[in-house]
Amino acid sequence: MRLLTHNMLSSNIKGVVNGFPLRIEAEKVVEKTVEMNGDFLKKMFEKVDWKAFVDASRAMGYNELPEEADPSMLDSDEFLNNFHHALLELHLEEGALVCPETGRRFPVTKGIPNMLLHEDEV
Amino acid sequence: MDSLSLFCTGALLAGGLYWFVCVLGPAEQKGKRATDLSGGSISAEKVQDNYKQYWSFFRRPKEIEKAEKVPDFVDTFYNLVTDIYEWGWGQSFHFSPSIPGKSHRDATRLHEEMAVDLIQAKPGDRVLDVGCGVGGPMRAIAAHSRANVVGITINEYQVNRARLHNKKAGLDSLCEVVCGNFLSMPFPDNSFDGAYSIEATCHAPKLEEVYAEIFRVLKPGALYVSYEWVTTDKYRADDPEHVEVIQGIERGDALPGLRSYSDIAETARKVGFVVVKERDLAKPPAQPWWSRLKMGRIAYWRNHIVVTVLAALGIAPKGTVDVHEMLFKTADYLTRGGDSGIFSPMHMILCRKPLDTDDHAQT
Repeated sequence: MRLLTHNMLSSNIKGVVNGFPLRIEAEKVVEKTVEMNGDFLKKMFEKVDWKAFVDASRAMGYNELPEEADPSMLDSDEFLNNFHHALLELHLEEGALVCPETGRRFPVTKGIPNMLLHEDEV
Repeated sequence: MDSLSLFCTGALLAGGLYWFVCVLGPAEQKGKRATDLSGGSISAEKVQDNYKQYWSFFRRPKEIEKAEKVPDFVDTFYNLVTDIYEWGWGQSFHFSPSIPGKSHRDATRLHEEMAVDLIQAKPGDRVLDVGCGVGGPMRAIAAHSRANVVGITINEYQVNRARLHNKKAGLDSLCEVVCGNFLSMPFPDNSFDGAYSIEATCHAPKLEEVYAEIFRVLKPGALYVSYEWVTTDKYRADDPEHVEVIQGIERGDALPGLRSYSDIAETARKVGFVVVKERDLAKPPAQPWWSRLKMGRIAYWRNHIVVTVLAALGIAPKGTVDVHEMLFKTADYLTRGGDSGIFSPMHMILCRKPLDTDDHAQT
């Protein structure tokens, strides 16, 4: 599961008011190189919740992203590379995504988050 | 016959048999093999039991008492059939209008790419595939639009298959799969630039529930296209043969009650969508989507023999034969549904989530 996807996942347990973002518990992180596309990154920058993204990248062991970011930073190659790396090249293979309100763990196995709710959570 | 001609005849027969079973057989040459058929996440010895439970649950599709059990049984259904579908049909678990001169694969891909064009997916868009199966459409759509596709499916086995295929196709940078229930999706409100569902929402006991979820997770102004399984204007509920065919389709495809074509737009509007376009893609001038099923009769018989032999040898789980036979009978009902025109698997509806509450009045 890439951080691009994590940025779109939230806890949908009944009664939870704000299930985003899910906290990451990383057991196994894998890096997979992917060709960089500047236009794609610029489009994604507008859509990404930056704070959730930075916190998630730190949980995955990557500390190169700044706490805050604005579009002007996209002109810097270094920033663009780091953004690309964290967004698309870091994969959570094994671990869990944790609901910020209830602490319920959604397991991630073989890179796939299992977001199915139990009967009492619907 | 001397030994040379005996040998040649033997080799020819063996080659012919190999070609008939292994080359002509599978839907894809490097895809699922008959010797790898499994019950998905269900272990081999439990396949037959699970099949029996599934079959009795869907005895009366429109009268299912425990609607909340439907997702479990849809999950069971896909554990039972995913491997057989991949082996005999391909990675796209849906129908397409046949196109003269084009292969099934090409016709399928064109049908999928049309969904992209309808929702105007662009590179960098985040698009949701509701009920993504093993990801056949997802891969075609991501490749065609260069949008980022997130697929959701309830079946864990399918998620693993989808991921494998995405990697093999080199599309795992554009495609991601999540295991979840589309009646309660793990995405925040207003997050996707577009969404599509190809013959998947038919598994929801109430179409309104899945449409409401899709509406919720779409950004205002975003488009959603669905290819729905419906009974058409030719269907008569008081015609026992019509009822038999529809019930046969429902039972063999894990459907808790097929919707009438007129229900679709009504449901979309009910949850807040503006209906942009609606058309039954099966109607002429489109060529029959069911001709692929008809042509496959020889293939079904051959596959039936293969599966029976493999099950007898203990290579395929016991119960695979039952499942395959169920699919064979269901194919017959689907064909009858197509021939009589009472059923369509591709009633297309294109919807937009209004930009604001006034959008509705402006259109």
